[in-house]
Amino acid sequence: MESLLSPVILFFGLGVFAAYVRSDLAIPEALSKALSLYLMAAIGLKGGVLVAQSGFTIDLVLAAVAGLALSCLIPIGAFVLLRGFGRLDSTNAAAVAAHYGSVSVVTFITGNEILSDDGMPPAGYMIAVLAIMETPAIIIGLMLARRDPGVRTEAGGDLLRETLFNGSVLLLTGSFLIGLVVGKEGFASIAPVFETGFTGLLCLFLLDMGLLAAHRLRNARNLTLRLVGLAVFFPLVNGTIGCFVGAVIGLDAGTSTALGILAASASYIAVPAAMRMALPKADPGLYLTMSLAVTFPFNIIIGIPLYSMMATWMV
Amino acid sequence: MVVTHSRKRIEIIVDAPLLRRVRMLADEAGITGHTLQRALGGGGEDGRWRDDRVTGGVGSKIIFSAISDEDNADKFLAILEPLLEEYGLIVTLSTVEVMRAERF
Repeated sequence: MESLLSPVILFFGLGVFAAYVRSDLAIPEALSKALSLYLMAAIGLKGGVLVAQSGFTIDLVLAAVAGLALSCLIPIGAFVLLRGFGRLDSTNAAAVAAHYGSVSVVTFITGNEILSDDGMPPAGYMIAVLAIMETPAIIIGLMLARRDPGVRTEAGGDLLRETLFNGSVLLLTGSFLIGLVVGKEGFASIAPVFETGFTGLLCLFLLDMGLLAAHRLRNARNLTLRLVGLAVFFPLVNGTIGCFVGAVIGLDAGTSTALGILAASASYIAVPAAMRMALPKADPGLYLTMSLAVTFPFNIIIGIPLYSMMATWMV
Repeated sequence: MVVTHSRKRIEIIVDAPLLRRVRMLADEAGITGHTLQRALGGGGEDGRWRDDRVTGGVGSKIIFSAISDEDNADKFLAILEPLLEEYGLIVTLSTVEVMRAERF
């Protein structure tokens, strides 16, 4: 309940409310893009600085391996359910499954903020785990799609570049490495920009995300009740598995929650662009609406406190 | 009296991630010049949409416009035709008058 009253969640709720009452409230698109870049750079830097302080530990390696395994396995289970229960064709099932195997940076950042406020900040190396989990699901999704001989995928230089050097992945990884190199002392001079204003700017960004999610849900045409059910079921199950794996490999409660959040979240930045190129026949109205308009709000409002409770109980 | 020449103007509304492909296909058809504009939003049979640059550009549409002679315009349209459905392209062709014909 306490996390529901945190400013970031309340701003998200304000955005959703504004969209539903058809208010003219809008964040200019260029500002929204700039905010997302700022948040990625800030979280990458912070993670790098924390790892520079703590050094490379066995926990980091275990969390990275666990994250990689989750991002490869989650799309397979999701694909089976989307084909069977969700009644999607192979192309759409593969595209949606890839989104659920990948991660949402904003969900992670919000979770990180809430967990830190609750006195259980996740380890800084989870930023590296986040970066590792961004792309494998794209490859698994394409492999799943190609199993059906009727599905045409368009792989090539463009896709490879988009997958490996997608702006968000590059900025996040690059900022992490910069944080790692400059350490706490080097970060001190840029902290006023990347630390002091962080939560306030996150509030503004979540206001925009609330608007975006609610607009997309309101204009969704092809979303069935079964798919809405799966968009809630996936984060619940994947989040539980993530927390459980974190506890089993010996991570602390905050870091296990972060792994749960990563497993539960669905991409809406890196994967949609890759899928639009690789599987042009897949319907963006489906995969983007499920990940952004259903799973994202679910994780922000219900998921994060739930995974935190589960991880605290499991660890 | 200003002398003008007839040319074809091709306008394509394309999802931002697919823009690079459209540019390559235009090159293939011998169309080297083009202009890009960002679309603010719109509506179609899949409902309404608005410019959204956060979600990997998938919610963002670009208007690609090029002017060329009729032969290259026909070649470009023939290349685009099989992709119209999958890429969700909106393609329009119009006849325009230009002043410096050698440029198009």
